[in-house]
Amino acid sequence: MKKKFEDLTDLERKTVKDDLEHAYDFDPRDPLFGLTRDKLSGPRISRRSVMRLMAASGVLTAWHVLPGTTSKALAQNRGGILEAGWAGVGEITTLDPAQINQVLQFQITSSVLSGLTHLNADLVAEADIAETWTVNDAGTEIIFKLREGVTFHNGDKFTADDVIFTFNRSKDPDQSINGGLLKNVASLEKLNDLEIKFTLSAPQASFFVKTTERASGRALTIVSRGGLEALGTQQYGLTPIGTGPFRVTEHTLGQRVKLRRFDDYYDPERPVLDGVNITPISEPEPLAAAMEAGDIQLIGGNPVAPELVDRFEANSDIVVDIIGGNGFQAVFLNPWRDPFKVPSFDKPLAELMKEKGFMVRLAIAKAIDRDRFIERAQFGRGVPAYGSINPAMGFYFDESLAETSNQRFDVTAARKLLADAGFPNGEGFPTLTLKGGPPVRRDMQIIADILKRNLNIEIKIEIKEFQILVPEFQKVDYDMLRIGSGGDFDPDDGIVDFLQTSSRLNGANRDKAKMPFGHFGEADVDRLGDEQSRTADLKKRRVLVQKVNKITSDKVAAAFIYHPVDVLVHRKEVDFPARSRVVGLVDLDRVSFV
Amino acid sequence: MTAYLARRVLGAIVVMFVVATLVFFMLRILPGDPIAAMLFDVEDPDAVEFLRTKYGLDQPIYVQYVKWFGHLLTGDLGQSIYGSRQDVTRTILEAFPRTMSLAGLSFLIAMIIAVPAGLISAVRKNSTLDHVVTVVAFLGLSMPDFWFAIILIIAFAANLQWLPAIGYVPIAEGLWPWFSHLILPSIAIGTPFAAIIARMIRSSMLEVLQMDYIRVARSKGLLNTRLILVHAFPNALIPVVTVMGIAIALLMAGTVIVENVFAIKGLGRVLIQGILNRDFPVVQGAILVVSAIFVFANLLVDVLYTVIDPRIRFD
Repeated sequence: MKKKFEDLTDLERKTVKDDLEHAYDFDPRDPLFGLTRDKLSGPRISRRSVMRLMAASGVLTAWHVLPGTTSKALAQNRGGILEAGWAGVGEITTLDPAQINQVLQFQITSSVLSGLTHLNADLVAEADIAETWTVNDAGTEIIFKLREGVTFHNGDKFTADDVIFTFNRSKDPDQSINGGLLKNVASLEKLNDLEIKFTLSAPQASFFVKTTERASGRALTIVSRGGLEALGTQQYGLTPIGTGPFRVTEHTLGQRVKLRRFDDYYDPERPVLDGVNITPISEPEPLAAAMEAGDIQLIGGNPVAPELVDRFEANSDIVVDIIGGNGFQAVFLNPWRDPFKVPSFDKPLAELMKEKGFMVRLAIAKAIDRDRFIERAQFGRGVPAYGSINPAMGFYFDESLAETSNQRFDVTAARKLLADAGFPNGEGFPTLTLKGGPPVRRDMQIIADILKRNLNIEIKIEIKEFQILVPEFQKVDYDMLRIGSGGDFDPDDGIVDFLQTSSRLNGANRDKAKMPFGHFGEADVDRLGDEQSRTADLKKRRVLVQKVNKITSDKVAAAFIYHPVDVLVHRKEVDFPARSRVVGLVDLDRVSFV
Repeated sequence: MTAYLARRVLGAIVVMFVVATLVFFMLRILPGDPIAAMLFDVEDPDAVEFLRTKYGLDQPIYVQYVKWFGHLLTGDLGQSIYGSRQDVTRTILEAFPRTMSLAGLSFLIAMIIAVPAGLISAVRKNSTLDHVVTVVAFLGLSMPDFWFAIILIIAFAANLQWLPAIGYVPIAEGLWPWFSHLILPSIAIGTPFAAIIARMIRSSMLEVLQMDYIRVARSKGLLNTRLILVHAFPNALIPVVTVMGIAIALLMAGTVIVENVFAIKGLGRVLIQGILNRDFPVVQGAILVVSAIFVFANLLVDVLYTVIDPRIRFD
């Protein structure tokens, strides 16, 4: 199935353009059309070489360069065992939704356990084991009608009692780390075996995407009471029992997770495969070798290392499917430390622009050449970021922000701001420390290099392990800190979680007497952030979300750098249908061999 | 001999106690908060406090130590504080056979390379063959094991596709699947080990070959092969065995790195994962087991002396 050109993302359009340029970039008098004998030798000829030959013979059409999966046209086979590698992880520490704290874990549980809702490829919540739902006018009462005839992997029948059991378990801090995700749920009531009613403290637009969702939801991902009683919590964490398309038949911690088809799944057409074996592989090179050798046929888990993507793309046995990712990456600037001290953001922008601390913040944000950064740090894959709302959210993403944001790249303006703040050509500017985790070492070096080049300021890099970095981020104990967010399916993930004064990731452990907010606090953002969170009307919500995004961008809540892409890598014998291509997830129920 | 063994076992237990205590306190001095990092995605100060209390991390270190030591005396290594909170004993028992398989095969490969290389090098001293063996041995010593491991993966798994790139299969699932998954990691660990032992055999053999009894044997017309293998080699083994005891530490260190590269959940990977997660009980348990392996391997080496040279008595 090919996409229409007008439906393509910026990145896809750029790829198409590059492919076309490359295909026709040859001298017609050259008998090899600019290709070397090596490039024309088998057993594999690269995609780009094939396109060059097609262009030379005059048969290259737009269809050939448009992204999409040609495997749709191929026959889909039922059955077979898929070998998958989970990247960048030594072990899948838990599959119990109550303990899950990583995307790579709920990527697996999404194929094993169910939620009331599940995201589709457009990040819209669809019914999963809830069949339908109704919302009252105030947006505070939601009644779910549950699907009939659903059973757990152990044969137990699924009813409203299981939703109540899951809810109570998640609220208990002794059993779950995810109780905080249910703070807005005032009560849950069983109406009958197949109907439940949620009462919310306040309307929550993201409820179906963030709370009842089967993967990222976690707190309401349905667990089996019978399974927990039979297995105990430790074993349940390894081999959970749910109502999903696959059941876990074996989990050897750090070695392998075996999923096998659940024959009584509520949709008899799914899953298509007989099973999936998942092997955690922490190092990039063994992961690449396993993929190239065919030991694994699909990669899930953490994002594939950018340096491997080109290598996979050059291999004709491997399919690399790139779509806009659902996250943002940024450099947070401590507003409580010189030289970018801003004790209050509650001022009109024009007034803030006169403050030295703000000038320095803005100078840094404006001096970062996002395109150069993406080219050098991310091997050309990514979308420049000016706010927390990512392109995968499509409807909410504001493309014009790249042109209108106060943070847009402008070296001359950045240098002037720095000079006006008392640091002409970087003179007298203190050496600042940029902290970040080991995986972003390269990112940080390139940011430091760009700032040196554009502002003539020195940035010292400090690599910290995640276990150290997180507490420091939450105490606002840094000059500059390189961190970001992934798995953002709803605007709340960026706005409510990071950018409001009371956000849980806004210096939650700071000294509140000295710091009224963490890395950012602004009354309009707090107010509009709450309002967008409560607004169910999508169009109205979009306006509010984009307003908040613009304020946080203009007032430099952080120097937003880029939105990563989502890269799915599989071998060509695997059909990963577009319908299952939910950004950030690896839903295996419709995957098959061709 | 019995008294000697009893003394050594007692000494080994004291060493393990000291190691375990040092590790306990060092882990708690390290910066980083396991609970805060675990709850990063669902940051909730109440939940952080709840879990800190639940795992006793809010108590003074000496109280934590006394409690931990009390449990240790009853054989309870505790539970992981991360993920599905597995029993540490179970985690270690699962990992132990993998590390032992890997270490055992690495040792075997090292011996297969080292013994002939060392002997040839000694017997053909200063010959081209000796120089080649010396250069290869230094090469083996100089190559970082993680780098060598990756080269092996690229060559034999990705390009030639002869052997699997990653993973471990228990021997119960078949001898070849088990063996095929262990060949590359064992070569990666065994090669530097072989280089050390080969150099040791060479120098020890050169010393023995200068001794009077060898000259007498040679003058009596003894076959060179018999002279080397039956008369010289066993006597050259004592210093080699001593070094082997120390080199077991190198072998264990090798498994830590190589297990990670080949995605084998052995003791080394348990340790790394535990350290990364600041999973105190797991790290403490794993270090205790690794130190026990090291201490008792050296004890075994001492006992081996009496087998190799019956003149040695410890009483």
